[in-house]
Formats: sequence, structure tokens, C-alpha cells
Amino acid sequence: MVNHLLSRESKGPTGLILAVVALMVVFSFLNPRFASVENLQNVLFQSSVPLIIVVGATLVILMGSIDLSVQGVMGAAGMAWILITPNTRTGLDYGVWAWVIALGTGVALGLFAGLIYERLKVPSFVATLGTWYVGLGIGIMLYGNGLLPSLTNEALARWPTRLTLGIPNSFWLAGAVVVVGLVIMNYTRFGRGLLAIGNNEAIARSSGISVSRYKIMALAIAGGLSALAGILATMQLGSGSSDIGSTQLFTVIPAAVIGGTALSGGEGGVLRSSLGVFLLVILNNGLVLAGVDPDYQQGVFGLILILAIVTVAWPHRNRLKVAK
Amino acid sequence: MMNKIQTISSSQPSFGGVIPPGGLTRHRVVAAWHALAPVLVFVSMLLIVGILNPNYLKPLGISIVTASAAPILFVALGQAMVLNIGSIDLSNAAISMVGAILVALWLPGMGVMGIVAVLAVTVAIGILNGLLVAVTQVPSFALTLGTLGLLQTAALVTSDSQTIYISENRELIAALYSTSLLFAPLTFWIGVFVALVYWGLLSLTRLGLGMTAIGKNERAATLSAVPTLPIKVITYAISGLSGGLAGLAIVAQAGSASASGLGSNLLLPGIAAALVGGTSISGGQTNPINVVFGALTVAFVPIAIQAMGFGAEAQSLVYGLFIITVVALTTSRVRGAVIK
Repeated sequence: MVNHLLSRESKGPTGLILAVVALMVVFSFLNPRFASVENLQNVLFQSSVPLIIVVGATLVILMGSIDLSVQGVMGAAGMAWILITPNTRTGLDYGVWAWVIALGTGVALGLFAGLIYERLKVPSFVATLGTWYVGLGIGIMLYGNGLLPSLTNEALARWPTRLTLGIPNSFWLAGAVVVVGLVIMNYTRFGRGLLAIGNNEAIARSSGISVSRYKIMALAIAGGLSALAGILATMQLGSGSSDIGSTQLFTVIPAAVIGGTALSGGEGGVLRSSLGVFLLVILNNGLVLAGVDPDYQQGVFGLILILAIVTVAWPHRNRLKVAK
Repeated sequence: MMNKIQTISSSQPSFGGVIPPGGLTRHRVVAAWHALAPVLVFVSMLLIVGILNPNYLKPLGISIVTASAAPILFVALGQAMVLNIGSIDLSNAAISMVGAILVALWLPGMGVMGIVAVLAVTVAIGILNGLLVAVTQVPSFALTLGTLGLLQTAALVTSDSQTIYISENRELIAALYSTSLLFAPLTFWIGVFVALVYWGLLSLTRLGLGMTAIGKNERAATLSAVPTLPIKVITYAISGLSGGLAGLAIVAQAGSASASGLGSNLLLPGIAAALVGGTSISGGQTNPINVVFGALTVAFVPIAIQAMGFGAEAQSLVYGLFIITVVALTTSRVRGAVIK
């Protein structure tokens, strides 16, 4: 037990922060433009959408499940939002209600996945894989065969890039989500319950935690956050697309894993996953500035992911260890 | 430790002497349902389409469905073998992409030897995956996600982000697609043959039983002296080989290969086909012959949607509901089981 606590301490985010700092130093040498204020603001801008998603994804991964529905939910919510916000196609303006409806779509899709997972006992992998397609389908059907919907409201289209106190608005939004996520994880019954479920579901159940409700709630929250990310990404792009979330899943899950959030559940946290996002975004940004062909980006991500998980797992090898 | 015991004793009702509530009869019903469901799902879809629009079941329709099912089938068979040992291979569709590109590059110069060389490379990639998973003991989901990234880069770099057309020796591989037997192209029948071989491997050999044992309960398998490390490596090698065969099927059909062309989106259809074919995502349960029906079902969904009068936009939505429904119908539920 003491050993367990110690190993948990030693695997704190210090190493990750050092890795991020080291990367920044190396990239600044390779291209002085990397350390410019404009580029750092750009890094914050690029990390906003994956940061929002990773908070929800971490809640789900911490309880040992997985949420693959991210890209589908983003497509559905982003498309729902832009069609009822001043745009070039529909001319509808629901104001605040557009946000409520779009976020509601995400929460509903999360609830859908959660109910299938918890009530029908379908593994979360399959339930959220199906929800991915369902969300994508809703996005495609909303888009239909009509014109490309683009934002007509200039103020809204510029909001994500505009600076407040030197930091882009989209990052303020993402930062707020991360802070709320941290509070939920560390200071609420719900957050601790999720960790307990990830550590040992049978014991969590026996200790009176309503496992079913927690699981469904975690997936609903993840759905809502994916929807928020979908709206933000749509705003950044300025027009609607059902593929707005494309490749996000394959940034967010490696980010969480590199950050030290274990896919088996019960270990890690929102802060570490967020640092994982920063690591990947800085890596991507720095490689582009260093003149590396974008073709190599996925490969570098893959290599870093493999190195990170192997380094963490190496000391824990054991003849009887089961790693799924 | 507690929950491991819980999982072992309760989540695998069809094995290990734990009889679910309802007794042995229910036990057999569940087992029979598992064996028949994938076939029933496919046949009922055929019936619905046949009643609504019989034109789709004519020879042309059959050849279209089986042709598009062939690459999905190979990827799904490899995936089913890996899922059976309780792991996953997210990189196997990317292996088929790299395989297809290498076939297009090597066939003109090397002829048949080129095909052999490509299969050797894909098997080697599989072995590497297997060694990394088994020796370093990391979760296969994260590890193969990493190799997926590496292989995507490999596909882009080897093809120079271009579409590679086969200039010479094209007839060597095109025959696999243009020769048809009972309206289906040869690539599909090769897939069926591979499924039979995998079925034989799983049910008739010590190696195959070892694979299923690892999937049911890895710790128990290790304690029973099942050589888990070599078996895992072999399973990933099989997944690599299946990926290579899928690459051949892609090139045979398209006559060209690129990192974003035909076959670049096989990962999810492959997983879906394995699941719809009754493979359990938690391991220890698969039947390669049923995976054939899974692949046919997945390839048939777009056609069924059209036949039922929905627009092409509805395809993703129906696809998602379909996967959920089929898995919900075939999943085994036991009180107190931990489902991740």
C-alpha cells in the first residue's frame, strides 16, 4: 500500500512538465519564431479544442471505460449550432438557445451511449463506437444537400481568435473547462467515485457507490464537452462541417495516455491529460516550424506514444501481469 | 485482485463450470444464439431487401457486395483473431494500406516474388506489434495506436503521397478480382478459405486453444503453462498476414494504391464486421466463419439502406444503430459482471 502511494507520488506531472519545457527550448533553437508571442498564442489557440475534449475523455477513461464517440458528437453539435446561429443558409437566429440545443444534443448522445453501456451491458467500446456513427449521421443529415452554412456574424466568427489579456478567447474557455474538471475530479464525491470505479468496480459497488448512475453521468458529461468542442471548432473554422472533429480522437486518447492516464482506469487525472495535450500540440507546432514534412507528424506522435507507454510499463513487468 | 476473481467467475458463462441462473438449458440457448445470430442477422437483412427491392439480389448486386466485403473480411478476420486473445490491433488496416502500396511498387519489377515479399513484410510488422505487446506488457490499444501512426507515415512516405498505378504485371493480381465464381470475385472466396483455415486453427490445434485460453483468462492460461508470449506474437503475425492479404485485395480491385484511396478507411468497418460476426470485444470468443457473415453484413448495410428508401445521408446513422443493436442482441449478460 505504501509502495503504491509512493509510486503514485513519483509519477506526478513533474516529468511531463520537464518534457514540455525541454521541447520548447529545443524548438526555440531550431526556429527562433517558435518562442515569439504570436506563435505561443497560436499554440494556446490550437490546444483549446483538444483540451476541452480531453477533460471529458479523462473522466470516462478514469473509470476504465472508453469514449470513442468524440468526433461524431462534435459533428452533430457543431452542425446543429451553426444552422440556428446567423448563417448563410438558414437565416435562423436562436441566440442563446442555439447553444442550449447544440450542447443538449451532445449530452443526449452521451446519455444514449451511457444507457446502452450501462442498461444493455454493451461494452463502452462498442456503445460509443456506435454513437460515433450515429452522431456523424445526424451531422450529415442536418447538412443534407444544401449550401455550405457559414457564419455571418463577424463578431462571433472572430471571437475565438480575439485576445483578452493577451490570451485567445478560445483558450480562456478551454482553461475554464479544465479548472472545472480539476475541481470535479479532486473535490467532489462524483470524481472520487469515478476513480474508485476505475480502481475496482466490485468494491466500489459494494461500498454503496451508485456505479450505474456515475457511469451514465460521466458519458453524458463527456458528450456535453465534445459538443462544446464541436461548437468552438465550428466557430474557429467559420463554417459548418460534419467532419469538424476529424482526427481529434487520435490526438486526445494518445494525449491522455502520454499524460499517464491509464486506459485500465483508476490512475491519472485531468491535469496530466491536459499536459499530454500541450505536449502533442507543441510537438506538432514545433515540427512544422522546424520545417519537418507534415507527413511525418502521425509517425512522430506514434513513436512518442509507444516510447511513453513502454517507459512507464517497463519496471512493472511481471510474469503474471495481465495487460489488455 | 477481488475484481479479477469476480470477472473471471462471472463474465464468461459459457466456460469454466460456472452455471448462470436458469441452469444448463439457458446456457445452451445462449451458446446456440451466439453461433446463429450473425447468420440470422445477415439472412433477415437479405430477406428485407429481397422483398422491398429484389433487383439488389441479382448477380450484379451480389458481385458488388462481395467485392466490397473482401478487403473488410480480411481485416476483420485478423482483428477477430487478436480480439480472441483479449487484445486489439488498431494498426491492421494501416498494415493493409502499406501492403497495398508496396504491392503497387514491387509488382512491376519483381512479379510474383513481389507479392511474397509484401506478405513477408506485413507478417514482420505483425510480429513486431506482437513482440512489443507481449514483452513490454503495455495495453494493446495504446501500443497499436502508436504503430498506426508510424504506419500512416510509412504509407505517405513510401508512396510519396501519390497514387501509384501498376505499370507492368498488372494481370498477375487483377485476375484475383476479375475471375468470378458464383458471381463473387476470387478475392472474396480466398477470404472465405482463410476464414476456414483460421476456424480450423482455433478449434483443432493446440495453438488455437491456447489463444482462446489467453482470451478467456490470461492469468489462468499462464499458470497452466500455456506459452502466452509466443502465442501472442503468432496472433499478431496472423493479423499482419491478414492485413497484407487485404492489401492484395485492394490492389486487385483498384489497380492502384495510395495512402488515401480505396481501403484507407478499413479500421472501423473491420472492427464492426468482427463484432457483428459475434466476436467478443473482451476476448475468448470468436468464430471466423461467422466473421464472414459479419463482413457481408457490414458491406451490405449501404445497399440495404438504399433498398429501404433512405437517402445516402442516413447511412452513418443506420450503421451506428446497427452495430449497437447486433452487439446488444448477442452480448452475454450475467449479474455482477464487470463490463468495461
